[in-house]
Amino acid sequence: MNIFKGQRIALASLFENNAQADRFQVGLSISGNKEAIDFACFGLDSQQKLSDDAYMTFFNQPKTPCGAVELSTPVGDTLGFSCQLAKLPAKIDKLVFTAAIDGSTSMGQIKDGYLRFLIGNQEVARFAFSGKDFQDEKAVMLGELYRKDGDWRFSAVCQGFNGGMAALVKHFGGEVAEETPSPVSTKLSLEKKLASAPKLINLAKKATVSLEKYQLQETVARISLVLDASGSMMNQYRTGKVQEVIERLLPLAVHFDDDGELDVWAFSSNVLALPAATLNNYADFINTTEGGWRNWGMMSINNEPKVIKQVIELYQKTLLPVLVIFISDGGVSRNKEIKDLLTGAACLPIFWQFIGIGGRNYGVLEQLDTMAGRVVDNCGFFALDDLNSISEQELYDRLLSEFPLWLKAAKNKHIL
Amino acid sequence: MGISLNKGGNISLSKTDPTLKNIIVGLGWDARPTDGADFDLDASAFMVKADGKVRSDSDFIFYNQMKSTCGSVEHTGDNRTGAGEGDDEALIVLLDKVPADIERIVFTVTIHDAESRKQNFGQVSNAFIRVVNKDSNNEVARFDLSEDASIETAMTFGEIYKHGSEWKFKAVGQGYSGGLAALARQYGISI
Repeated sequence: MNIFKGQRIALASLFENNAQADRFQVGLSISGNKEAIDFACFGLDSQQKLSDDAYMTFFNQPKTPCGAVELSTPVGDTLGFSCQLAKLPAKIDKLVFTAAIDGSTSMGQIKDGYLRFLIGNQEVARFAFSGKDFQDEKAVMLGELYRKDGDWRFSAVCQGFNGGMAALVKHFGGEVAEETPSPVSTKLSLEKKLASAPKLINLAKKATVSLEKYQLQETVARISLVLDASGSMMNQYRTGKVQEVIERLLPLAVHFDDDGELDVWAFSSNVLALPAATLNNYADFINTTEGGWRNWGMMSINNEPKVIKQVIELYQKTLLPVLVIFISDGGVSRNKEIKDLLTGAACLPIFWQFIGIGGRNYGVLEQLDTMAGRVVDNCGFFALDDLNSISEQELYDRLLSEFPLWLKAAKNKHIL
Repeated sequence: MGISLNKGGNISLSKTDPTLKNIIVGLGWDARPTDGADFDLDASAFMVKADGKVRSDSDFIFYNQMKSTCGSVEHTGDNRTGAGEGDDEALIVLLDKVPADIERIVFTVTIHDAESRKQNFGQVSNAFIRVVNKDSNNEVARFDLSEDASIETAMTFGEIYKHGSEWKFKAVGQGYSGGLAALARQYGISI
């Protein structure tokens, strides 16, 4: 017998003519998903709440106290439960069979799956579904058995929550521990935060993948960008490549930053602290901010120490970790000064991620990783031929790979 | 508590409730607790002649045309989510005011955009349609859409019709596909 999405039917009619119907199995299976799916059975009271945690049956708690529901997987299924409804206490009004995806995909991306009823290893009814029955849900109620006028009925619910298991548990009246927040929440919020900047939305997913990879979903930090604006950079400004850097980095600032702002400096022989880039002003930032880059009084020689000093001054008393993304096209000569400044700054909550672009002679920047005499390694460096020569995904990966190591080390040394 | 209907059952409204002069056809459902498109159920009425067709498009009372020209049938308003207690949408019929050439009034319930939203009554919690005596507030008849019409998206709930000097109610409970447009065409509305 086939059961359709939304259908409600008396359990007895599924088990017609079957004398052993007092004991049956529910088998669950989902295929075509990349990430692990957790199945569970929630026993709810008449208020539709999980008033007793012991009635959540899953791999960590394989049996209800009454023994009415017990993990037992039929051959061929991913997981299953053996059910003897007569054993259930009267306070349990409903058994909800759920699936939750642990990761970045959603139920809309699965291939197909089913919830089926078996008696004595024989299938008697099946509710089949596919990814098309869902959208962005990460935790769903596939089906439920419920009491109605003294009988048990089944409903092919097939609905759920984009917020994953946490949202589902909340729906059932449960409390979700704060210290194990779902990675889902941040992903959704980054996309949501960027909703007002359609141009950046496709970056949200890519940034989120990297953030999850490096477990930075819950990290709060300030993000700043230091832009080399020496003469040799002119072409990068003129052709819009520097503007692109801002657009690529802004999603990270929106994610990490409490105020969603990307602090920006430009430097050449002088230093200019620009107004922060935000979702409101990022479009054409380079050409419009402070009269546009041509009017910044830059495009001269490069003086890194001057800007490093200003950055340190601004952030030295901050309580939040700071990620400084420092773009340079090389020609670095003030090696001793830079080295001393960064060594001294190792006790501050600032991590310096240097990116060399299209240049050469990066001087001391190339040795930052191995520079001795610091409390923690507070610098990272990588070089690119061109700012746009790597994909956004790769850029985020490279930008975020060293930062978490520093976060951990800085915490150990009580810098944070 | 009213009489729970079986498909095709007849009730003489006048006999069930002798005081009955005016009726309310109430439609209720629970707002969606899960993520996804809201459940938007719509109640509508078709005032038809003996041949089963409307006299004109103005005999089709629905969310875009809330009152009949004669004033005997009135829609109380479109609820698009099911938020709120009790009846979420209602049609009020003043039986004495129904024009002489109208023989029947058919009540339907449909899910707005059911096809594109891939919804049916079974996905909606506590969806019902009922007839209530407007003056006494007694429920005369009720149909449980969630349980008994779970895989439907449109339904002719029932109809009141003239039988001699009295009004009778017939529980139809017939599901349809094609939504409100298909139902409207069936009763002679040009869509």
